[in-house]
Amino acid sequence: MGWESWLISTLARALAYGTPLLLGTLGEIYAERAGVLNLGIEGMMIMGAYSAFVVAYKTGHPWLGVLVGAVVGGAFSLIHAFASITLKANQVVSGLALTMLGLGLSGVLGRSWVGHPLFTPLRRITVPGLSAIPIIGPGLFTRQNLLVYITMLLVPILWYILFHTRIGVTIRAVGEDPATADSLGVNVARVRYLCVIFGGIFAGLAGAYLSVGYRPSWTEGMTGGMGWIVIALTIFAFWNPIYGLLGSYFFAALYHLSYRMQAWVSPELLKAMPYAFAIIILIFVSRGTLQKRMGAPAALAIPYTRGEE
Amino acid sequence: MHRKIVLAAVMAMVLIGGLVAIAAADPYVPGTPIKAGFIYIGPVGDYGWSHAHDVARQILVKEFPWLSTVYVENVGTGDVVSTIDKLVNDEHCNVIFTTSFDFMDPTLAGAKKYPDVIFAHCSGFKRAPNMATYMADFYQVYYLNGLAAGALTKTGKVGYVGAVPIPEVKRHINAFTIGVREVNPEAKVDVRWINEWLNPAAAAEATEALIADGCDVFAFTEDTPTVVQKAAESGFPSFAHYSPMYKFAPDYVVSGELVHWEKIYADFLQKIYDGVYTAKNLQNVDYWWLLGQGAVEMGAKPGMAINPAYVDKLKAVVIDHPTFGKISVYDLIQTRLNQMGDPGVTFDPFQGPIKDRKGNLEVPKGMWMSVDSLISLEWAVDGVIGPWPGEP
Repeated sequence: MGWESWLISTLARALAYGTPLLLGTLGEIYAERAGVLNLGIEGMMIMGAYSAFVVAYKTGHPWLGVLVGAVVGGAFSLIHAFASITLKANQVVSGLALTMLGLGLSGVLGRSWVGHPLFTPLRRITVPGLSAIPIIGPGLFTRQNLLVYITMLLVPILWYILFHTRIGVTIRAVGEDPATADSLGVNVARVRYLCVIFGGIFAGLAGAYLSVGYRPSWTEGMTGGMGWIVIALTIFAFWNPIYGLLGSYFFAALYHLSYRMQAWVSPELLKAMPYAFAIIILIFVSRGTLQKRMGAPAALAIPYTRGEE
Repeated sequence: MHRKIVLAAVMAMVLIGGLVAIAAADPYVPGTPIKAGFIYIGPVGDYGWSHAHDVARQILVKEFPWLSTVYVENVGTGDVVSTIDKLVNDEHCNVIFTTSFDFMDPTLAGAKKYPDVIFAHCSGFKRAPNMATYMADFYQVYYLNGLAAGALTKTGKVGYVGAVPIPEVKRHINAFTIGVREVNPEAKVDVRWINEWLNPAAAAEATEALIADGCDVFAFTEDTPTVVQKAAESGFPSFAHYSPMYKFAPDYVVSGELVHWEKIYADFLQKIYDGVYTAKNLQNVDYWWLLGQGAVEMGAKPGMAINPAYVDKLKAVVIDHPTFGKISVYDLIQTRLNQMGDPGVTFDPFQGPIKDRKGNLEVPKGMWMSVDSLISLEWAVDGVIGPWPGEP
């Protein structure tokens, strides 16, 4: 067991643990690009996890569970969308409320589902051919969930849409300068609603991945704070899906290494490491002048009211 | 004039409040209905510690017609006293159970505040005339699981995912390791900590890290079935913890630990109902219940100590035992189970000589450890590898 074992396990866990983070981050990037900060990721994620598990358990079809998890995540995000876009409520408060509501609601609803293993989880696949490549094969292409690769493929697509299509320009315009976008005939509220729902769908997918694929069972509070990592990763990613992928996998790799290195470095310190890294990046990113260049939407977290400013 | 009215109103409210408090905390009269309040640290949906206490609570309600219960979950240590206030004043509980080590001091504060209410604190060591302590401990069962793990490991490395490095968890890892090494003196138990009681993703990644490090049999102390599921995904046997997790991986769960808190609760409540225990005589009441009292059980499913799929495998491993000579691990487990299950216990896993991994003699030859030294144990027994926060 030399360095190969370290490389292989780090690659494999970066993908497996990084995928729910990446899904959540991709959704939050779109919501924030349209100017809506959604701190409700954890709540939407766990509602997705809960509903995906129940549907997969009842029907025996894990992909149906994934679909329902996505729909429930999207539907749940409507609460935040309504509060922050239509009612123009404080986005921080509304998002936090969504997180608490999701954790509480899923806990109550999920009570009778505790202790039931899911016998029909998402299959793990080994990619023929590619898995034979030394190191890369066992690291990236062996016994991973199909959702891992689907998420990976979504990254360039979402990046392209955001930066190279009219839709992307519209979204970014709404997040940068909603008044101007409005004067050009863009329906600001509608764009924001759609982006928040899109974020909810992706958070729901992340939750579904956890309860139907990653660890197929339901446990109250099973998202374990991943929603908060997503918030940090979104900034870490400079609101760019490509960097979102790098950030998510990098964080997951550090997380894995924190368990492999416990024998030599204090576990408390290692556990704090990925988070400390996120904070350092946050400090770096939020330094005034840099913020603009890094891609922070200028109108982030500011409700838009026509005719004000 | 105005101020006097306000003052009078305040005084009246204080008086009424005081009366309510006094009325609420009437001493319990034996033979009358009991209302018991349970304060849980975690959600009852954790499928671990709090879940097990709540399963016991539900059994009690069915068993005793004179008992009603109420529970509060997800209580932080800082909220215990105010929760006790609510249970006494609003819910009129006669008996309050607090089920986390961290709740020890706030429970004692509550017991002083309400001297007529009966308290029982789980897993601690501070008592009062109206506050007992109780614990159903697993260390014997962990040792028995360790015997099986020692027989099943091929790489000589057994993985252990620990929750929080407190004496209870350390005691269990040590007992488990003593079992592993009794069968397989060269084997190591590799420990990883997740520093949380409930975090499935952390437990999953800790298990994967242990797999990458070459472990091929797994045990854990954590509140979800994650380790069992993750080990099974990679085809490795494991031992369940706390709840019946056999169904999570029927081909891979060898055994585990099961708790029967209802045995302790039933005994305690019955004695209160009969007038044996009152709010005056609990200073020395400490339940430390083990296999002998039926408070704990070996197995991943009630009534099944060892998964039938592993019986032949354990029978096939025959070792040369210093006490029993040639004996199969299956028979060794049965022998030890009988020695500890008997009310007259004739064996203890922490039987000296035991050295810690730094070479210090912790338990002299032929001696057993006292309950006090077991519950404050911090050292790591020889054979444990990996981090050990707070190692003396």
